[in-house]
Amino acid sequence: MSEPETIRAPEAIRREVETMLALVRERYGSRLSPDELAGVRTAIEGIVQAAHALRAVRLGNGEEPGQAFAAYRAEP
Amino acid sequence: MAEQVVFASVRRLGEVIRARRLSPVTLAETFLERLERLGPRYNAVVTVTRARALEQARRAEAEIAAGRYRGPLHGIPYGAKDLLATSGGIPTTWGAAPFKDRVFDFDATAIVKLEAAGAVLCAKLAMVELAGGMGYRQPNAAFTGPGVNPWSLDAWSGGSSSGSGSAVAAGLVPFAIGSETWGSILSPAGNCGVAGLRPTYGRVSRHGAMALCWTLDKLGPLALTADDCGLVLEAIAGRDPADPTTVDRPFRHEAAAPGRPFRFGALRGVTEGAEEAVRENFERSLAVLRQIGTVEEVVLPDLPYDDITRTILFAEAASAFEDMIESGAIRGLTAPEDHYTAYARDAILAKDYVKALRLRGVMAREADRVLAPLDALVAPGRAGEAARLDGEVRSAIRGTARDVMGAVGNGAGLPAVAVPNGFGPRGLPTSLQFMGRAWEESTVLAAARAYQARTDWHERHPADLI
Repeated sequence: MSEPETIRAPEAIRREVETMLALVRERYGSRLSPDELAGVRTAIEGIVQAAHALRAVRLGNGEEPGQAFAAYRAEP
Repeated sequence: MAEQVVFASVRRLGEVIRARRLSPVTLAETFLERLERLGPRYNAVVTVTRARALEQARRAEAEIAAGRYRGPLHGIPYGAKDLLATSGGIPTTWGAAPFKDRVFDFDATAIVKLEAAGAVLCAKLAMVELAGGMGYRQPNAAFTGPGVNPWSLDAWSGGSSSGSGSAVAAGLVPFAIGSETWGSILSPAGNCGVAGLRPTYGRVSRHGAMALCWTLDKLGPLALTADDCGLVLEAIAGRDPADPTTVDRPFRHEAAAPGRPFRFGALRGVTEGAEEAVRENFERSLAVLRQIGTVEEVVLPDLPYDDITRTILFAEAASAFEDMIESGAIRGLTAPEDHYTAYARDAILAKDYVKALRLRGVMAREADRVLAPLDALVAPGRAGEAARLDGEVRSAIRGTARDVMGAVGNGAGLPAVAVPNGFGPRGLPTSLQFMGRAWEESTVLAAARAYQARTDWHERHPADLI
């Protein structure tokens, strides 16, 4: 694990929020009021900021997810 | 009789039942009457399970009379958060209006284990709809209404195990089962002034429990004391083939203290952002803890802990309730913000979710490294008194508060117990949490018991209920 990088500039986050909001509007816009869409935007802002914080941490190739998948075989 | 059994500990009730000085049927009747009379005041109850309770209580009475005593929960009434499946026509609603009439034909493993221990199911207890997974911002987020705090009728009891907290605090049941994905046991325990134990992930089977987040969900007890939580955990812990995350690590609740000074740690800056009363009560708690051990400041490496656990939670919850979200059925939920907030989770990229899972591994190792020389990390259970019923709920999950202890504890699946440690300016309880290494429930319970042996906060109850 190396030191965290600087989180990207607010403008980059804003553009990503708008892109994601467009996706949500495309999928669910017909059922969302303007106020609700504003609420979705706020929630997306939090998600994108969290994603940038995660991306700012460098991990080595061998750093696996914190839970393991187990192959399945039914017991006789 | 009622004055003697209401607010008595599970351990004490078990002793008098075992000695046949208290009838399980009489005890069940006492709590059923309180659930029916007082439950609505706190919006604590979804279903009073009177018929099943009396059947179980009569069976317990007959078995004990015949010399077949099962253990300390035999004949003890309890309530279960309404996300645990129950058979026999008892609804399991998940706190959500769209499921208010839904019935399962089987019992969750925790319910089965408690029945095997002889406990008496008296109620299905209220909860925040879908355990809060859709982004609620206010106490009024359940079809049963907002969870009301027994210490103040204008304060919240939750969440999301709102009824589990308020029912114990109001003396409606001696113990309850709750669930925690992030904060849902420790928060209501703290808000209501009772003990709440979040077990290690994988300690308790979640078979038959509503899934919110498969890699975060835990079931655990709320009771008047940490000791009682240990008694209940012993009954519900254990490997279950129906839940592949459970492990074969026996848990035995030891009532005896370890016989040596404890070693506690407190994260640097752990009270930053907490209300003044919370900070003061925490400092007073540390003074008590220094009577039984040492307290040292410790530091975790700089990682985005809240973001790690939040990303996992949002992504898994969006998948767990994909049908409701995609179909628009979330419109049927109570809190207006639960009608749309989950749509935002389409913005979580798969690689970011996987990155959060990879960082979880780092987080778990770092937390264990810090915890290894300690018996427990200690911290305020909550940053403030309970929210007002008409106010907004501050939440680390939504990012309107910080909760490193909760993010690390839940993200890494670590056990923690919260116990009351004082009151704030509104007369509401504050709490102290002990968090330990994985599978160290006995250690954190021993520490919490030692704290409770030197304080009397757990012996205080709302004046109008005594």
